[in-house]
Amino acid sequence: HPLELFPGCTVTLLLFDRVKNAAALRKKAMEGSIEGALINPAMIVDPFQILVATNKAVHLHKIGKMKTRTLYAEIIFSLSPNNNISDAFKKFGISDNDTAVLIVLVEDREKTVNVEDVASQVEGQQVSLDELPELTDTAKVKKMYKITPQEEKIGTLLDSIVCRMSTKDVL
Amino acid sequence: MAAAEAAVSGVCSAMARAGGPAIDEPGPAGAAMDEPGPAGAAMDEPGPAGAAMDEPGPAGAAMAEAGPAGPAMDEPEAEAGAAGPVVAEAEAPPPALPGLRLVKQGAEARVYRGLFLGRLAVAKLRIPKRYRHPALEERLSRRRTAQEARSLLRCRRAGILAPAVYFVDYVTNSIYLEDIVDSVTVQDHINSLQQSGDDTSLLILAEKMGELLARMHDEDLIHGDLTTSNILLRPPTEKLDLVLIDFGLSFISGLPEDKGVDLYVLEKAFLSIHPDTETMFKALLKTYAATSKKSGPVIKRLDAVRLRGRKRSMIG
Repeated sequence: HPLELFPGCTVTLLLFDRVKNAAALRKKAMEGSIEGALINPAMIVDPFQILVATNKAVHLHKIGKMKTRTLYAEIIFSLSPNNNISDAFKKFGISDNDTAVLIVLVEDREKTVNVEDVASQVEGQQVSLDELPELTDTAKVKKMYKITPQEEKIGTLLDSIVCRMSTKDVL
Repeated sequence: MAAAEAAVSGVCSAMARAGGPAIDEPGPAGAAMDEPGPAGAAMDEPGPAGAAMDEPGPAGAAMAEAGPAGPAMDEPEAEAGAAGPVVAEAEAPPPALPGLRLVKQGAEARVYRGLFLGRLAVAKLRIPKRYRHPALEERLSRRRTAQEARSLLRCRRAGILAPAVYFVDYVTNSIYLEDIVDSVTVQDHINSLQQSGDDTSLLILAEKMGELLARMHDEDLIHGDLTTSNILLRPPTEKLDLVLIDFGLSFISGLPEDKGVDLYVLEKAFLSIHPDTETMFKALLKTYAATSKKSGPVIKRLDAVRLRGRKRSMIG
């Protein structure tokens, strides 16, 4: 997926199921030895959600106004509806006993990412993104983003989520 | 120099106070304080002359003592920075989005349609007003963009149909929204209904509008620019799903005065754009009064506001 506002930038999403080494992966991500953002797919309803978060993260990175220290951490933070970084990691990042992992890779002209390299570090089965809806925990998502019942009538869950993500810093 | 500095800091703090509540970027004021040279160039000239000067860069360079500090002044905002060295550039370039085409140019902003991350979106880019002082311009632009984003979120939370916000860019003060595909403005719809002579549909539409506004005002949200071209009908048109757009002048207020003024703006726009719609607007107000819990004082204020305005005698 290319990011239109940032020519030359592309986003790659990899979904893995039946993952056995979630704990090890999380440690590697914390150290920064994995070139990607490790996200809990239960909190994601659609790839568009990730793209919006990534777009915002890349934008902030380019103007030097990120709230976290790395681009990948910023992507995870952008997914959260509130401004608490550690909370964002807890809810949207992967935990030690997760069995599914969504990895987000960002490439631009200066930096390319080796997909096989990243994929080989995961002890699990790579599956198509179409399986994402099955892994989504809708109730948990609604609770996390505090979606009101009248909101559900006027738009999709995805619309509400994206709205909250993009206006989080103004409210 | 000391006198100039004192004058600068005096004026700067006055400006800071005026912009008080909405300051989220001390950048411009802060930068102006740090470099008294260029700021001095901007402040020494009284109001109108200062405003007429729209290139702080070269003006700063013109001041002898400012010399090195002037052109080297690092403005955190990209726009001001670009405006500095490039004197000829009149406006910011359109965003590099595929299939982006200009849809409309209003007084406030340019509206583009295009694809954003694979979805049809509308991009609103605020037009910088060159007659304004750059620091004020930046602050105002940012405030309006933030207000728009905030109001859109508030609408969504309350269950009022409004476009979803995809991305807000505080650097260029642009906002990327959901595109309501194949929508019709209420203005066009009313015109077509009037042409076909469909009066019952007009009344039903008016009732729907009254209901929508009542819900919005009950959330203490003031639109600020209510016209029939700022309300859209989402397809299918028969369902009369009304979508509010263009919240650039919106704000939060519980005062009946502000709500009354909001309704008055709509009334004026309504009656001037659509002839013979007095009954329609009456129906709108009736539904408004019925739906809104706090409508009593608002309607009273509306009557009071009507007595003000143009060509009105202020008697009684």
